[in-house]
Amino acid sequence: MTSKFFWNVLSTSSLLLTSLNAQSNNILDSITKDMDRFNNVATITKQNEDYQPYIISVFNGKELETLGVSNLKESLQLVPGVDITTDNFNNQTPIFRGSNALAYGQTKLFIDDILVNNLFFDSYSEYLGLPIEMIKRIEVVRGPGSKTNGVNAYAGSIHVITYAEDFKDFESKDKMIFKYGSYDYRMSGFIQKFKTENLTATVDFYYQKDNKKLKAGPDGYSQGSMSSTDLGKDNTTLSQNGDAPVWNEDYSLSLNLKYKDFTLKGRSLNHTQGSAYGINLSLPQNEDRVKLPSYYLELGYDKEISNFYLDIKAGVKYDTFDSKAKLGPNGVDFIDYEKFVNSNNTIVNNVIFPNGIYGEHLAKQRTLYQSSYLTYKGIDNHTITSGYRFLKEETTDMVSKLSNWATGDAALVDYTETFPFFNKNAERNIKIFSLQDEFQFNKKLNFIYGFNYETTSYEDAGFEPRISMVYQKDLENIFKAIYSRSHRNPSWQEMFTANNAARVGSTDLKPEKVDALEFSYIKKFSTDTYLQTNIFYLQNKDQIYNSATDPLYRNVVDTDIYGLELEYTGHLSSDDKLYLNYTYLTGTSTITDTGERSSLTNVAHHLAKGYYIYNLNNNLSLSGIAKYVGEKKRVLSDTRNKVDAYTTIDTTLNYKNHTYNYDIAFSIKNIFDEHVIYPSTPKTYSQDYTQEGRTFLVTLRKEF
Amino acid sequence: MKKILFLYLTLINVAFGYHYDDIVLKAQASIFPKIILLDKKIQNKLIDGKIVYTIVYNKSDYNTALSIEKFINKNFQGSLDKYNYKVNLVEFEKFSIQTQASAVYVLNLSEHIEKIAKVASEKGIISFSYDINNLKKGLMFSLVIEKSTVLYLKKEILFATKIEFVDALLQMVRFVEADYIDKNNFDYQNKLNSRNYYAKYFMNQKK
Repeated sequence: MTSKFFWNVLSTSSLLLTSLNAQSNNILDSITKDMDRFNNVATITKQNEDYQPYIISVFNGKELETLGVSNLKESLQLVPGVDITTDNFNNQTPIFRGSNALAYGQTKLFIDDILVNNLFFDSYSEYLGLPIEMIKRIEVVRGPGSKTNGVNAYAGSIHVITYAEDFKDFESKDKMIFKYGSYDYRMSGFIQKFKTENLTATVDFYYQKDNKKLKAGPDGYSQGSMSSTDLGKDNTTLSQNGDAPVWNEDYSLSLNLKYKDFTLKGRSLNHTQGSAYGINLSLPQNEDRVKLPSYYLELGYDKEISNFYLDIKAGVKYDTFDSKAKLGPNGVDFIDYEKFVNSNNTIVNNVIFPNGIYGEHLAKQRTLYQSSYLTYKGIDNHTITSGYRFLKEETTDMVSKLSNWATGDAALVDYTETFPFFNKNAERNIKIFSLQDEFQFNKKLNFIYGFNYETTSYEDAGFEPRISMVYQKDLENIFKAIYSRSHRNPSWQEMFTANNAARVGSTDLKPEKVDALEFSYIKKFSTDTYLQTNIFYLQNKDQIYNSATDPLYRNVVDTDIYGLELEYTGHLSSDDKLYLNYTYLTGTSTITDTGERSSLTNVAHHLAKGYYIYNLNNNLSLSGIAKYVGEKKRVLSDTRNKVDAYTTIDTTLNYKNHTYNYDIAFSIKNIFDEHVIYPSTPKTYSQDYTQEGRTFLVTLRKEF
Repeated sequence: MKKILFLYLTLINVAFGYHYDDIVLKAQASIFPKIILLDKKIQNKLIDGKIVYTIVYNKSDYNTALSIEKFINKNFQGSLDKYNYKVNLVEFEKFSIQTQASAVYVLNLSEHIEKIAKVASEKGIISFSYDINNLKKGLMFSLVIEKSTVLYLKKEILFATKIEFVDALLQMVRFVEADYIDKNNFDYQNKLNSRNYYAKYFMNQKK
């Protein structure tokens, strides 16, 4: 009886199901399309980051503006586990989770999906000044789990998304920006969009300049730069103290076009900076400079056809290292180094440079690349992506001029052919093949697994697997586990530098390798409040290293790093916003050719950052940023004291006029004038690199 | 001085507009009004022949409520399917049984959620919530962006007599329990096949 009733009910329900009227079907269809559309926006904008198989932090440009953050560098300083380091070029580099604090290419920077690391250093310091007003969103993926199609991110990747990105219902406005701050910093820029039915064009432009100088010294001459006991040369008395020219001047123009299924992305960044602490560790003159221009142009085509999605890209990127500076002080007493090196260290001719040593060094690089990826969604619960990326990297021009080694005359002599600083025929080809499957096992559990296989015209990285899992236990608890292997190819500097007493390049270098295990647990307390806990273990092998005593770059460092990250976003009450993170990391490092083993050096074991925002009313907001960077231990051979910990606090008052759509912000940074220093390597600047103290910034933004 | 500033930065508690997620707000503003149309008893809720979509907000969230109204008007151009509609903005203190509403959408409120849910229940209208946590306080629908966009519905809606959704909508949503977000919600989705589900649903209706 019950069974009969049951089946009657079921039949009735089936009839009801099949008799849904067209009106309801249309509405349901419309809701489904809306859900797909917003899901797409959320995925692209990493709104659903907690459910993605990465350890990722996303920062919103508008929120960073409210906080008084001025540029990309200041934004990255908020990221868990990220510290900033520098060198004598003032080549500033974010260090992720303590990974090889002396190397540059550990992390990759993408702007609108285009890799912009320069080839010379494999760094991107020229982009760290990118004004925050040009940035819609910053996505920072920590760990090699950040592998992107065809690009290996060793310690992490930074994705900057500009306002060229647009979605229906989320269109951004045109705007103009003016800034003025300490060190006579001036900036102006704009973002302008043009739209027709099929064409969208976005242009952004900015110009910024400052005259920043920072106290520095004694310079590297005090530590033996351009001195040699073997040769009986002692120039330590020529060491200088003074102001290091760390000024910057940028102008940048970007154009992004989208026409139907085609995209064109281009940027021209002309970056010039002061010679900072000197190529040869002698404090340079204020007008001495390094130019690091970066240009790229990429044509793309993407199309979705049935279950397939095709993504084809081809592009070219140019970057240059162009230095013009006084390299040594008046009165340097040395030898004819050209003759010495070219005679296999047999001819020693003394030479004095009464008016100092000058130099011009230029190396232009070009990268051509092409990639094609095909995604297939035709198998239930699987999304399979496969493709390749080819790169041709080469030096296209090189100039090497110095004061006369033979006579000591300051006038420049062209040594491009006879005594170059760099291999003018440097070239490398790279082929990368990728395969990846995203498998949705059920509503709770999904996996991504795949590999990259890479060959180069030098040492190959080979097969590099990755598997990750996201388990959503329920609405409040999400677990992630990731294993990945990745590598960093040697930079141009590490491979092709020549005739330099401090750096000797080698084309025998292998890629640095890392195997990483990462676990993450996310506890969601509400829609926008969560605590994320990450633990990680990084096994780094063949890290590239050189030192003052052995300047040849070689794969001799193995480093194990493990640590913990906590990241909290939430409220103290239901009405405010608080963001906090803390990182603890530790590990050991071994220099394999000397057997020297130590705990992590030049790395802060404790990092804590946070910010707090509240609005006094609908127009006025006040915010604060606090950053703590723990002390840093020196390498074993370095007898200096540890690098001191520091805490900086910034505050910003922001006024927003809703009627006329403009903002005025006033910021004070490093309110307590804390002594912030970045460590120097041994035998360079013994007092490290002091950074700016208290500064101010005024910003005016107007939207149209 | 540093300690004072630290305390100042971390302990100060001044009321201001809740930080809303723009994507979630717009997704909800696009989808929730359409859900009203899937109520078979919608005719009973029309006010002067119109659907009145009432947004209940905290005073400090007025601009957010206003932006939602603009967004809805821009998207729907004055009509939801064959019905005209009106967006009604009401501060939470003023929301009562007398408030005109064919459906109610509640922005983030730290209190009074239960009262609003009770009024909605008495009026027999659909209630939507920005924050899914408010479903445990009696509101009916929410939308959350997880790995994909998910519509959540409080399970008790199945027993409401003044609201009757088309069946296909019930297959689209995930259910949450009344007292708390259902930890076994996914099991519910996975294990209950549609035959058992509808059998149970209609047996409940028969009671």
